[in-house]
Amino acid sequence: MTALLRAGLVAVTVLPLVELFVTALHPPGTYPPGLTWPADPHWSNFGLALRTARVDRALLSGLLVVLATVPAVLVLSAVAGYGLARFPLPGGRAVLGLFAIGLVLPREAIVVPLYQQVRELGLLGTTTGLVLPLIAVHLPFGVVWMRARFASASAELSDCARVDGAGPWAVFRLVHLPLAGDALRSLALLLVVWTWNHLLLALVLVDDPLRRTAAGALGAFQGRWGTDVPLLCAGALLITAPVVVPLLLLRHRFADALLAWTSVRRRR
Amino acid sequence: MQRPDLHRARLAVVALALLGIGCAAPGSDLTSTVDGPAVVSEPSCGTEPLTLRARFETGSALAGALADEFTRQHPNVTWDIREEQFDVLTRNAPRVLADDPPDLMRLPQVSDVAGAGLLRDLDGYARWFGWDRLPESQTRPLRVGPGGGPRGEGPLYATGLSTSVTGFFYDEELAARIGVREPTTLAELDDALARAQRAGVTPLAGFNGGATGGLTFPLQSLMGAYGSPEEIDDWTFQRPGARIDTPAGVEAARHLARWLAAGYFDPDLNATDYARMMDRFISGRALFMVNGDWESATLDRRMPGRAGFFLTPPLRAGEPRAAMAGPPSFGIAARAEHPDCAAVFLDWAVSDPVARDLVVRVGGARPLGGAATSSPVEPGSVTAATFAATDEVLAHDTAMDFIANATGSVYARSWTPQLQQLVEGEQTPEGLLARVQADYLDQIGG
Amino acid sequence: MRGWLFVLPALAVYGVFVLRPLALTAQSSLYRWDGVGPSTWVGADNYVAVVTDPGLRDSLVHALLLVVAFAGGPVLLGLALATALRPGPSLVLVLPQAVPPVAAGLAWSVLLSSTGAVNRALEAVGLHGVARTWLGDSSTALAAVGVIGAWALLGVCTLLLSAGVRRLDPALYEAVRLDGARRWQEFRAVTLPGVRREVGVCVVITSLAALSSFDVVYVTTGGGPGGATSVPALEVFYLAFAEREVGLASALAVVLVVLVLAVIGPVLRWSR
Repeated sequence: MTALLRAGLVAVTVLPLVELFVTALHPPGTYPPGLTWPADPHWSNFGLALRTARVDRALLSGLLVVLATVPAVLVLSAVAGYGLARFPLPGGRAVLGLFAIGLVLPREAIVVPLYQQVRELGLLGTTTGLVLPLIAVHLPFGVVWMRARFASASAELSDCARVDGAGPWAVFRLVHLPLAGDALRSLALLLVVWTWNHLLLALVLVDDPLRRTAAGALGAFQGRWGTDVPLLCAGALLITAPVVVPLLLLRHRFADALLAWTSVRRRR
Repeated sequence: MQRPDLHRARLAVVALALLGIGCAAPGSDLTSTVDGPAVVSEPSCGTEPLTLRARFETGSALAGALADEFTRQHPNVTWDIREEQFDVLTRNAPRVLADDPPDLMRLPQVSDVAGAGLLRDLDGYARWFGWDRLPESQTRPLRVGPGGGPRGEGPLYATGLSTSVTGFFYDEELAARIGVREPTTLAELDDALARAQRAGVTPLAGFNGGATGGLTFPLQSLMGAYGSPEEIDDWTFQRPGARIDTPAGVEAARHLARWLAAGYFDPDLNATDYARMMDRFISGRALFMVNGDWESATLDRRMPGRAGFFLTPPLRAGEPRAAMAGPPSFGIAARAEHPDCAAVFLDWAVSDPVARDLVVRVGGARPLGGAATSSPVEPGSVTAATFAATDEVLAHDTAMDFIANATGSVYARSWTPQLQQLVEGEQTPEGLLARVQADYLDQIGG
Repeated sequence: MRGWLFVLPALAVYGVFVLRPLALTAQSSLYRWDGVGPSTWVGADNYVAVVTDPGLRDSLVHALLLVVAFAGGPVLLGLALATALRPGPSLVLVLPQAVPPVAAGLAWSVLLSSTGAVNRALEAVGLHGVARTWLGDSSTALAAVGVIGAWALLGVCTLLLSAGVRRLDPALYEAVRLDGARRWQEFRAVTLPGVRREVGVCVVITSLAALSSFDVVYVTTGGGPGGATSVPALEVFYLAFAEREVGLASALAVVLVVLVLAVIGPVLRWSR
């Protein structure tokens, strides 16, 4: 009974991806019935999506956005989290409060002025114009997360280091940062997934689908080839696989990171 | 551990809001008006390499084919083409023209963007190239009065590559099997629909899913049969006092509701997109499809010898038949980088023999201007049928612009949701038109 | 004071790209503005429009209904599964959190289409009358969107609740069992109070997902048919960028923020 329940749960979880996969193998331009293996699997659909639909460029652009966004969030969050955790700052609590707003703020609440602002900066349609806001919207979680990590480190560590004559920056870099490696890795994992999958800001700030995040490009394919369901599904799989496959291998860390993420939401 | 709680977060929001109010009002008095510049020397693309940036509609093979041929004849011109769905194109037009101005843009609806000063006034080019000698019915929808309205008079803001016409495509094999001939009155059409249903064939292929209110096609066809195309154009062109909820309009909407109630469309109409409708018609699963001649070439290729076409039949036999016939129109952004070259392309597309041939072969449409075409049209093809229909509509001057083009948002915000509700039986024909009329007044009033 | 040097870089980026836009949203909500030209002060008019315009009011109602679906499904099912499956469910359940919502929406629209797997399954068991185009029927479209959201969140909630259940002291269960408690009583007396915190967390994350459900709605229904799945997130986007009603869009965005705080505030207090 329990085994059946387990299996059923896994089946429901993977069902949509299985559907994407079998649909992607049907002849282009057809409307295949649900969950049927095609008589003549069109593996070429994946190549077709890569070449004619330029999914390759969408993947490259998505990768570029991730590479520009994630390290920046990690550095800024670690440094700011450390500052908020280890220094008795006047107004530090208020700053933390400002970041806490960001934890629950819907992106839709800032997207319109953000568009105006990026336009004024002359960065509409550029990777920079997309990456800067993406860094900003992920900072609240990063800062709160890293602050919690540094706050729980023992105070004696810094004291010992300071006795040895190290400045605050050296204490941070040489003592605390290495110990926070695990928290940073989990944070990085979540940030990669969220950035890769982000739609709204990419849709609004970058007009060319092939210069957006991966999910942003996919959002445009839907409009462009709403006509061709198998090709659309092939494109969707190509864009989903680069995060889903590694994460299935890293599922323990990802699950831990997700659970920790939810607890930050609660604790704040 | 210190916990900033929700109270603090909320206070901060209020503080920030107050901070914002203290600042200056948003926006500026920026208005960019480009007056109809007199063209004094021959517009050209020069000889230096240049790239024309263009926005075309997805699925329109013609624009791309013309662009390729233009480059072949003008090797210094290359293209940066972006294709979008019709509804995305309409929705994004204002901000694309303002923030990322292309040289050439397919524009279903010109009055909002022309009124906002985002489009180039083409009168200078029109005089130079002689576009003002084109049939008036083909340029009328693209003229916009000062400040965005009414349409139909004032400077020219866009021009077409071809004429276009809409009506009923039908599957000749199915028609023969069911025993249906081209109807000459609306009553005969109703009879044909009923016969198809009795024969177990979907009478009408349609699309009305997602953001696409495709039922505007049959609705406006019926409106043209019940009412006068001029009256409908008055509304579409935003002439003062024009209404869509006229007695004739209501009759047309009721007629459509009867078709829906009779089950003449597939039950998943509200989840069907344009491509799926085409697929159903081409694969012989529906007798009729209301659509435009931009599909003629495709139908001749994909169901050769099997597709026929007729204009929406009138109430009484022999009355002139009206049709939506807005030319697929292209404008030039006010701040375009290469307006001259874009204008050269637009003129070339309707005057160059090879281009005109492409319009027929790839677009399946009758080239704009000039009485006849040197291009071969196979007799009996659906392209030949739509050519004849175009000539009939031009001769009777019964062309009308698409009601979805009345304002920039009336299609997405009013026609589409209201027609979807009509399908669901959640809206009455009268309620539908009253609601669209109210939205329309709101949209042009603001 | 040196600590500020650590905090300032992040605060600056956050201030310029989140806090400033947030303040500007609040400001624009009091103006009538097309986003390009001059603006006119209209006071609270935009807010009045948000609550009186039937379309916008409906979108707010839909958002609240989605909260019920996104939160209710995963939390109730998750509790049941966490109780039934010990030591815990497969970690494959994290998968939906890694799939781009755009791709998930696409997959589900194929599953839920007229010839899709869901209808074929219904017809296979003789339920021909039930089969329909789930996302194209205004009576089921919102529920279908709710199902997609519940699918995306069920896994993470189940894992979280399961972790909570595992942490409970077995002695507590033995104590109630000695009193002759049945499983249901056991659940009510021990499990539920024990995982109250986890339930709170689940409700918060699912509610947030429901209230800013732009991605899934954008790709599956675009708010249709006939506005049946319109949500504030999508309306803000359409109003601001298609209709150039920046003031009205901003007012709706502010109302959305208030709604978020109103929904999750009590939950956070309850679960603390």
